[in-house]
Amino acid sequence: MRIRTRVMFASSLLAVGLVAVAPSAYATEGDFSEEQVEEITKEAEEIAEQNGASGYDAECIAILMEGGSPDDCHESPSPIFPATDELVWGSLSFLVLFLLMRKYAFPSIKKGMNDRSDRIRSDLDAAEQAKSEAATVLEGYRVQMADAQSEAGRIIDEARQTAEALKKDAAARLQTELAETRSRAATDIEAAKVQATADLKGELATLAVGAASAVVNKNLDPATQTQLIEDYIASVGAS
Amino acid sequence: MSDGRSHAYAGALLVVARSEGSLEEVEDELFRFARVLETNDELRTTLTDAALPVSRRQQIVEDLLGGRANPITTALLSMVVGTGRARDLAAIVDELVRLSAAEGNKELAEVRSAIELTDDQKQRLAVALEAATGKKVELKVIIDPSVLGGLVAQVGDTVIDGSVKTRLQQLQTAF
Repeated sequence: MRIRTRVMFASSLLAVGLVAVAPSAYATEGDFSEEQVEEITKEAEEIAEQNGASGYDAECIAILMEGGSPDDCHESPSPIFPATDELVWGSLSFLVLFLLMRKYAFPSIKKGMNDRSDRIRSDLDAAEQAKSEAATVLEGYRVQMADAQSEAGRIIDEARQTAEALKKDAAARLQTELAETRSRAATDIEAAKVQATADLKGELATLAVGAASAVVNKNLDPATQTQLIEDYIASVGAS
Repeated sequence: MSDGRSHAYAGALLVVARSEGSLEEVEDELFRFARVLETNDELRTTLTDAALPVSRRQQIVEDLLGGRANPITTALLSMVVGTGRARDLAAIVDELVRLSAAEGNKELAEVRSAIELTDDQKQRLAVALEAATGKKVELKVIIDPSVLGGLVAQVGDTVIDGSVKTRLQQLQTAF
């Protein structure tokens, strides 16, 4: 910014110098001295004024006196090189304006631009920081996402393992219950078999003894009864 | 009835029977009647029925035994029923027999048989039981058809079982 200002300033000075030098070079040409030309010009202007001529007529007279041709009177003013007074006043005005601007306007402009630069820089920094933060946050999110995915995977694995364990446990319990039920059923069957056998034996015994009792009752005549009693007395006495 | 009261009744009956000079016969009849009373629910219920007048219950006893037993036996049983102790008659008679046997330094030998024993058989049986138990015994025979055949003797806590009934039971158990 500072360099651009200097370049502008130098360009302005160069232009002013060129404009100031050009008329003096032009003025040195011709056969009359500068004082003579000025005097003649003044006389011509007075004459022209008396005769009702315009300022251009006076200029034409002066041109002719300086050794120019009448065609030169019809030459239009240079579009590039203005009149000397105009150039001087314009340069002075420019210089004053430039100095005033340099003193009052440039600092505020510079300050505004600096502020703007600072703001933009700070905005850029903030943006950079925000971007960095966003990247950090994004990285954090990615890490969290990875963690979450890992955690989800772990939970799923754990759930799968738990389910597997439960399945195995249930299967084992089922097998155990089946074995117990089978064993209990076998025991019950065995007990029922034993009971049935015992019942059958008891029934058979009852039937057999009933039959035997009937036979005994029928065959216990007095002689047999007496013999039994005698046998008893003999066995008790012998013991 | 307490044991003390049974003992008192038994002692009184013993004294009466002995004083009448027919202790052995009366004791035997009382013992038999007590066993019948134990096995005959109808008779026991009738004689212990408080709803029946005492005279009616005594009449039943006299009707059952009159002319078939010693009058002393009938009188003593009537007395026991009359005092309302028919329910304890078996205990009283058992105590009487035990007292009587104890007086002769004997142990009661309760013998169950399906048929009546002859005097000779009783005597030989008593001798055999005395030899087997080492005690002098007072033999009391109970006719019990349920033994079917043979004999069951109980002297004190010792039981010598030679009955057909028990053998059949053993046979049933052995199956």
